[in-house]
Amino acid sequence: MIIQLIVTGISLGVVYGLIGMGMVLIFRAVGIVNFAQGDFLMLGAFICFAFNQKMGMPIWLSFAITAVLIGLSGIVFQYITYWPLRNAQDKAIIVSTLGASIALREMTKLVWGSTPQTIDPLKGGIVKIAGAFLQWQYVIIIIFAALLMSLVYFLLEKTLLGNIMQATAQDKYAASLMGIPIAVAIALTFFISMLITGAGGVMLAPIFFITNTMGVLAGVKAFAAVVIGGFGSVQGAIIGGLLIGLIEVFAGTYISTTYKDTVVFAVLIISLLVRPQGLFGEKIAEKA
Amino acid sequence: MGRINRKNLVLLFLGVLVLALLINLPNTSSIYMVRVLNMTMITYLAVLSLYVVFGMAGQSSFAQCGLMGIGAYITANVSTRWGYPPILGMAASMLGTALFAFIIGFALFRLRRFYFSFSTIALMTILNGIFANWTKGTGGPVGMGNLVQFSVGNFIFNTEAKYYYLILGFSIAASIIIWKLFRSPLGRSFMAVRDNETAASCMGVNILLTKNIAFAISGLLCGLAGSLFAFLSGYISATSFALPQSQLYLVVIMIGGSSSPIGALIGSILINLLPEWLRFLKDYMMLIYGVGIMGLMIVLPEGLVGGGKDLYAKLIKWKRSRADAEQGL
Amino acid sequence: MQNSSNGKEAVLTLNKVCKNFGGVVAAKDISFELYPGEVFGLIGPNGAGKTTLINLITGIYKVDGGTIVLNGHDITRAPAHTRARRGITRTFQHPHLLNRCDIETNIYLGVDLARKNKMLNSHDHKKLLDELLEVAGLRLNMRDGIDKLAYGQQKLLEVVRAILTRPSVLLLDEPAAGLNQREMDHIVALVDIALKMNSAVLMIEHRMDLVMSICNRITVLNFGNQIASGKPAEIQDNPVVIEAYLGRKRGAKNS
Repeated sequence: MIIQLIVTGISLGVVYGLIGMGMVLIFRAVGIVNFAQGDFLMLGAFICFAFNQKMGMPIWLSFAITAVLIGLSGIVFQYITYWPLRNAQDKAIIVSTLGASIALREMTKLVWGSTPQTIDPLKGGIVKIAGAFLQWQYVIIIIFAALLMSLVYFLLEKTLLGNIMQATAQDKYAASLMGIPIAVAIALTFFISMLITGAGGVMLAPIFFITNTMGVLAGVKAFAAVVIGGFGSVQGAIIGGLLIGLIEVFAGTYISTTYKDTVVFAVLIISLLVRPQGLFGEKIAEKA
Repeated sequence: MGRINRKNLVLLFLGVLVLALLINLPNTSSIYMVRVLNMTMITYLAVLSLYVVFGMAGQSSFAQCGLMGIGAYITANVSTRWGYPPILGMAASMLGTALFAFIIGFALFRLRRFYFSFSTIALMTILNGIFANWTKGTGGPVGMGNLVQFSVGNFIFNTEAKYYYLILGFSIAASIIIWKLFRSPLGRSFMAVRDNETAASCMGVNILLTKNIAFAISGLLCGLAGSLFAFLSGYISATSFALPQSQLYLVVIMIGGSSSPIGALIGSILINLLPEWLRFLKDYMMLIYGVGIMGLMIVLPEGLVGGGKDLYAKLIKWKRSRADAEQGL
Repeated sequence: MQNSSNGKEAVLTLNKVCKNFGGVVAAKDISFELYPGEVFGLIGPNGAGKTTLINLITGIYKVDGGTIVLNGHDITRAPAHTRARRGITRTFQHPHLLNRCDIETNIYLGVDLARKNKMLNSHDHKKLLDELLEVAGLRLNMRDGIDKLAYGQQKLLEVVRAILTRPSVLLLDEPAAGLNQREMDHIVALVDIALKMNSAVLMIEHRMDLVMSICNRITVLNFGNQIASGKPAEIQDNPVVIEAYLGRKRGAKNS
């Protein structure tokens, strides 16, 4: 029993971590918090639903196409909400992403209706690991999310592309002087961020129902993961995500199903009070 | 004070005219339309609360609808479940919500900027979880129905029009108080915190306490809005006090412009009346808001009021330069 | 510090104040006293820790060691707003005005503080304000936004606001930087008003002509250390100071 809970918690956690990672990438690149991140998760789930259930494509193919499509939509999103406002106040950009969030939710409702939908899990059936019977899909989610995370991490840390993106994130002006096309680097950041978020949506879809509001709570939880982990830290987002996933599952089992989200957010507020800079965040320097 | 010049006279005249129009409105409108107007004014009160904490003090809160919920449930419990006079329920809502905001503020305002914003999302989610599940205090998922009407002594507010005058009175009173706040030491300390925390603290402003007071005042307004909502609709449930509604309030104030209460008013009117005028677009309304706010942020980042002011300034400048040119000729 | 000014009591006393940022020493054992009605100059090369010292006095940074005493109260651990209410007012090198508010709101923030200090009753702020604006050469439309003001006007306005609070200690961080000669004269005239109110004025300034002409005493900082203190004439002739700072400046001015 306990192993099942842990595996379920971790699998939820890695997905939250994945979305959180997407948020961190955008935050590091352009310094804004994207309030529509969760809605791209929802969009991913719906698009995969369209390919898988409506058009009858196999789940893996739907998954791949969806991820790329969501990534591309991230670029479009960036050109609408961020690029025209890049010199405006932060609050204008935040509200603009909020507008995008509302628009995406309504658009999906108009296209796919408001009845909850489901898709196939990435892999069905049961597997026996260490004497415990586990659902394959949870195991697959963990493996796959971990794979995606390492891939993004490798891309950021070890490749030229990653260096370009990081240089842009650190100092746009200096980067532009060095001949880095900032617009491309930022577009690329949004592409990757949304791609992993959309993938997260496809992974979560078989566990929760697909509705046009599924992204709200998942997005907020991913942000909670980012905050607990320390804002701007990729490792922090992953660890924070795991914590949130585990707390959610254990609170749901041992405290109360109805209050599991309440517990999650209570933990967030407490952690903010105890350690506002998060687990991996640097202490905000006195001399700013 | 008391300067009487042409501009003030015109303003006074306009004010009286608008007031007369507002007082006459229920006589010329359908009951349904009066209901829409009532909801508009309740939205306005909630958005006005956001003007205090966000427009003046610069703290973007996503918890306003949760605070409104607290107000509504306090009213429902005090007036209906425990049977105290409605006016006591309303007072308890306002004070209780303000007190709650003040106390929770000490925790939340240890965080700054978007850290604070997201902690208010967490607060909103927690509150909504409690509203939806605490069967005893909030009726849980079914909510609380058959709420008593508002009454003062023997006078019962049992028609839509009576509520209209009640809510109108509160809205005008709240507007005047907030308007006065703008030129008061407290209001100045709010704006100082918004614009420059370092400068504010060097000018003797206690940052944490000031933010708390702003949040408490916004709580007071939310409590009032929630209480009025409970009396007016007679039924409340958790779905009325959820995160998307809170987000909408933030959008409303940004559409109108967060630099003055007039922005809150214009935003509230647009968000409530537009769906009535554009009935055929009803299903698309939220989508239009979503896309609209994105477009608006690009064109008018300071909202309609800010944009209007800019336009006015440009117009004056253009007129002057034209006058100068004519003189030159 | 035997330079007591005419036997008056010190308003502000710094005793062995220390501050480090990471490994960087920003202030080491800084001690001095400010007396009412005098101008105290704080000079030194860039990065010497001058602004840090003002931030320590106003409470934006907390000291690592030492004590700060204001009018007999130990304010070493007091938050910034408490210190402001006890009579410490400052200006910033780059003006920290409320840039989304109009001029009236900005100015009345100073009146609010004066009221909190109980320094000002509601009747005489108007008179003082008019006098200050006159002396500062500012003719303003109160409802204009801050963005309507030129840089020099913003700096003057910040000084006006600071003096409006009737501070017992007035800290000016490079008040003349970026100003033209006429605006600098206005600053000098404003400082005179502050002195007539018996404020103790501490001034950071790079314009040596200004420092030498209006300061009663001067302390020189270098790498967070107090390398010299004394009357302007003494500082001007101190070889240590000339080496660290003045020499270059004076050379530059003479050429």
